[in-house]
Amino acid sequence: MLADLLVSVLFIVYAISVLMGFGTILTWVERKQAAVMADRIGANRAYIRIPGTQVKLVWWGLFHGMADGLKMLVKEDWKPRTYDWYAYAVAPWVVFTPVLLVFAVIPFGGTLHPAHLWAPLAGFFGDKSYPMQIATLDGGLLIIFAFSGMTIIGAMLAGWSSSNKFALLGALRAGSQMISYELVLGLTLLGLILIYGTVNLDAMVRHQSGTVLGFLPAWGIVYQPFAATLFLTAAIAENKRIPFDLPEAESELIAGYYTEYSAMKMGLFMFAEFIEIAIIGALFTTFFLGGYNLPYMNDAGFAFPGGGTAALPHGAVVVTQMVTFLAKVFLLCSFQILIRWSLPRFRYDQVLMFAWKFMFPLALANLVITAVVMWALGK
Amino acid sequence: MIDTVLASLDTVFLYVFAGCAFLSAALMLFLKEPMRVALALISCMVFLGGVYGLLGVHFIAAFQVLIYVGAVMVFMVYAIMLLDPRDESMKVRYSHFLWPGAVGYVLLVEALTAGIWNDLPGPPRGPAGEPFSLKAFSEVFLSEYWLHFELTSVLLVAAVVAALAVIRVNRKDPRG
Repeated sequence: MLADLLVSVLFIVYAISVLMGFGTILTWVERKQAAVMADRIGANRAYIRIPGTQVKLVWWGLFHGMADGLKMLVKEDWKPRTYDWYAYAVAPWVVFTPVLLVFAVIPFGGTLHPAHLWAPLAGFFGDKSYPMQIATLDGGLLIIFAFSGMTIIGAMLAGWSSSNKFALLGALRAGSQMISYELVLGLTLLGLILIYGTVNLDAMVRHQSGTVLGFLPAWGIVYQPFAATLFLTAAIAENKRIPFDLPEAESELIAGYYTEYSAMKMGLFMFAEFIEIAIIGALFTTFFLGGYNLPYMNDAGFAFPGGGTAALPHGAVVVTQMVTFLAKVFLLCSFQILIRWSLPRFRYDQVLMFAWKFMFPLALANLVITAVVMWALGK
Repeated sequence: MIDTVLASLDTVFLYVFAGCAFLSAALMLFLKEPMRVALALISCMVFLGGVYGLLGVHFIAAFQVLIYVGAVMVFMVYAIMLLDPRDESMKVRYSHFLWPGAVGYVLLVEALTAGIWNDLPGPPRGPAGEPFSLKAFSEVFLSEYWLHFELTSVLLVAAVVAALAVIRVNRKDPRG
């Protein structure tokens, strides 16, 4: 019992530090990658001076994230004379908390077997094994959608409670946009559920560790390349980033639904956005890129298509899986930032039109074709 | 010591969530501003989801939050956002139906306790069986309850069409 508690607490601490770490690092990656894309040097001013010397540690501007956090913490928490203080205070948390909660059902590694990791641990843990996931639930996918639906309410509350016309317009835009794309997001994943026959995320990842056609890794993106593209697009729209940043639209609405927020409350909205980039990366990895496994890898080691196998010690497997997951997530984050800094932009009516008249029918067609193929294959 | 605490943690959380759900439901009745009422309803739904989760039916909890908070309440909040806060009707806490409503509530509780509460099966004896899995739920849902589900959705579509018709009656431009 105590061992279970310890493992759970460890997993939760790991998950929160990974997400917070991604949130902080991504603020820097966003600037630096934008600079690289625009052939500039980028963030390089924040530094830490070693006390008593003139040695300044710049480290490619990595300290800019810390400088940002410090700035937001010490700024004046200015409040408008709002119509509704309660909704105003609650809104940033309603946006921020569900984003963290989504990670509870995402598997970030295979099975952890403490006794195999280091023999003396057997005395405390016994012969127990733990799936590396905070909550192993059979309806994991549903829980992701349940939580991600809650952030919509936060964005709308923020805009409404500010009693500012720009904010209200931003909130209305955020509401309609997120509702529309949430639907597409759900539809793209239904095809995968048909193929995997489960909504349990860990089972989905295990399903992807085999091969298809003898040599390709059985990843979701191989089965459903179309759904993968639609999913990523809809997810970026759900996160309200360029090209779908119309709810915030700086040139039209100041800052959209969080115009009237300052200091760390505004920081929470920004931070939630950056963490959601990582969450989207984690979801895409889990559904379409084989999760925490390298190609042809499973909990025992490697099983190559030719029939060759390579067994790995348990510790090596655990570390490889955790690092693989983080690396995949990071690459996807970088890809999202790449899209954002190529600066495409929709008009607002085009955003909704794109969801309902283009992506929705495509997702539906993809689902129908998948269902027919699965039926024809007799599965 | 710690084992007994951990073992009874479920029960403690169950009571906390049930209490919070009841409290938010009561707040929903007593609050005045529409957005606060909606927020109270949202927290009630989320706590009910927590109760379902603790009872071991995680996917029902997920459905509870997904459907009521993620879909229904989003639309309610959306509609409330567009209300005029200076409207006179928002200044009164209770409508004329306060007393009939209260009497009706008492009668309903009476009927529920008399009719249903006494017939409820007691807590299961012996070791608990397998938790109700998503697979079992889907099988029952698609074999026994699909007709009820379809009828409900038809009813909802009818309600949407009726609402559109009601709006259009007062419009001069027939195209809306």
